[in-house]
Amino acid sequence: MKIGLPNALINQYYISFWKPFFETLGLEVIVSPETTKSIIDKGIRNTVAEICAPIKIYMGHVIELLDSGVDFVYIPRFVSICDDDAFCPKFLALPDMLNCAIPELKDKMITHHIVSDNDDIATLQNYFDIGKLFTNDKKLIYQAIENGRQKWQEYRNLCVRHKCNSKIANDAVLKGINIEKNSSQIKIGLIGYVYNIYDNFISMNIMKKLADAGVEIITFEMLEDIQIEKQLQRFPKKLFWTFSNKIIAAGYHFLEDDNIDGVIHATAFGCGPDAFIGKYLELDSAEYEKPFMTIRVDEHTGENHLQTRLEAFVEMLIKSKQEEMKNDDIILPYKEEMESAA
Amino acid sequence: MKASFPYMGTQTFYKKLIELFDLDVVPPPVPTKRTIDLGVKYSPEFVCFPYKVMLGTYIEAIEAGADTIITSGGSGPCRAGIYSEVHEKTLKKLGYDVEFIVFDDLNRDPKVFMQKLEKIKGKQSWLKVIDNFWTAYELSKAVDGLQKEIEIKRAYEIEKGSFNALFNDILLDFDRNAFTRKEIKKIYKRSKSALKAVKCTKMPPKKDRIKIGIVGEIYVVMESSINMNIAEVLNSLGCEVTRSMFISEWLNHAIYPKIFRKKSGQLLVDNSRKYMDIPIGGHECHNIGNIIEYKKEGYDGIIHLMPFACLPELITQSIAPNISKDYEIPIMTLSLDEQTGIANNLTRIEAFVELLKKNKGENQ
Repeated sequence: MKIGLPNALINQYYISFWKPFFETLGLEVIVSPETTKSIIDKGIRNTVAEICAPIKIYMGHVIELLDSGVDFVYIPRFVSICDDDAFCPKFLALPDMLNCAIPELKDKMITHHIVSDNDDIATLQNYFDIGKLFTNDKKLIYQAIENGRQKWQEYRNLCVRHKCNSKIANDAVLKGINIEKNSSQIKIGLIGYVYNIYDNFISMNIMKKLADAGVEIITFEMLEDIQIEKQLQRFPKKLFWTFSNKIIAAGYHFLEDDNIDGVIHATAFGCGPDAFIGKYLELDSAEYEKPFMTIRVDEHTGENHLQTRLEAFVEMLIKSKQEEMKNDDIILPYKEEMESAA
Repeated sequence: MKASFPYMGTQTFYKKLIELFDLDVVPPPVPTKRTIDLGVKYSPEFVCFPYKVMLGTYIEAIEAGADTIITSGGSGPCRAGIYSEVHEKTLKKLGYDVEFIVFDDLNRDPKVFMQKLEKIKGKQSWLKVIDNFWTAYELSKAVDGLQKEIEIKRAYEIEKGSFNALFNDILLDFDRNAFTRKEIKKIYKRSKSALKAVKCTKMPPKKDRIKIGIVGEIYVVMESSINMNIAEVLNSLGCEVTRSMFISEWLNHAIYPKIFRKKSGQLLVDNSRKYMDIPIGGHECHNIGNIIEYKKEGYDGIIHLMPFACLPELITQSIAPNISKDYEIPIMTLSLDEQTGIANNLTRIEAFVELLKKNKGENQ
């Protein structure tokens, strides 16, 4: 039997758990391919016009999986993974929305509530009933959850201890691909949800574009929980959404951290929580005298303007770094290329 | 302390409540183009429309002399619960010296809630505090009841504007003369008979009347200055209108325990179960429940209003086609923000009403 995992929304954060979990249960796991124009188009046709781009993409991935002939699609309902926090309403109603939009999904959707008091969602309470759908062997279910948890912990370790981004860490954990990292004198804190910055279509490869410009990128997954907690103390009333809190905390951490030269906020069209995150950081970034840029992307965005803005931003960081260090020797890889070409 | 508050629907209730606490009130001005422009200027682009209008309202209220904003908070995950935090931060950065008193859910932090209440109550006794709330609650019920009646009868008024003029007088009457529950009752009775005296065409038989229910996000449903005055527009097209959101009903939902299924809104939540597994923080369950209730009560169509990119209402909108199909009731969603084209929406509304009239003809 084949179970499909839509390669969208927070899949990138939990795939290291879900894939081994379902595989141990004896299922063949099909992860939908990276987002393409045709996947987005499928999503757009089945969602309301105003909804945020990530939901349109998710819808597209689900339809793509159904078209590819999977027996089930796993669509969890994230309710809460932190005491009194919740998720964005669109996560809370995700299965309901999909059910209404795609009637043929009815018998194929595997869904359940995910409730946990921390990021580690691999609990019996969450996953025992899911295991029961596929096997009666209790031991196998325990083992599946444990396998998944171990892999997921490995992934988190790589992120936090070795400062790998999610994509590299997941590839290392699931496919055994060697870790390749670039370090650079220019470091940018890139804040944004995993479903925006790792989705190459929607983010137009922002990670690669920055890496090509010779920049080292730090993302929110690389921070320790304690660092996130510390930053959240500054809010008398924090945001309601767990990942938004992580991101805004990461944003402030990057603003405070002297090793980080600039902060970029990558957000998708129509993202509700990000409207506030952006406002907070915009209001406060001036105090830290640190360059801050917001990049908003959607399914129509042209690529050239992004390239130009990123280059200008990086160029500015280099300039100010050179002035600060009274040193013209900072030469980044892409500049070498440009100079040799000239 | 010169207190002001967000403008939402008729402001008689909030104004009276603050007055009963012996505080100075700076009533916020009716939202205008300027209010919206001010709000938009200092708001994030993708924040919901009510946030922008409220920010503009606050700025105008501060300009008029207010130094304190009294408003409500929330526990999410709808964005409205965090409005006041960001409003306050934005206003402070803009250099306005203003204090926010935000009332969150009582059970979120009862101690803080009581501290804030104590700040407002000043030297008044707790008994008087309860009395204040009770009086304001009765006032909201009276005003909302009259408004509901008007939104049905206005469809048949002979001289255009007569109900509006009367309602303004009634509000003024309540504002100036109603400080006890007894006075409220008296004015309510007086107003009721005044409503009866307004000249109307003969009401058509029940089966020929076009009834439209308006559901949606509470602010855009209640505040006619930013919803294109939709109730009046529909009335002028000869439709009876019922809006699903009133301050008194909102209070009822908060006050009554769940066993009072209708008053507490539990009935509506139960209705929505079929489509929504869990509540998601806004009024989506009530809206879905109301659509179903309206159908049962014989309404002909539903207009669903929402601010652009409203998180919970986008879900309602996503689910609406299925409800419409299952219950055979036309639903039209209008999303509103500072860019709303009135002419475009009017055309849609007119077409929608035409459709309802045609449906009605076919069914008979």
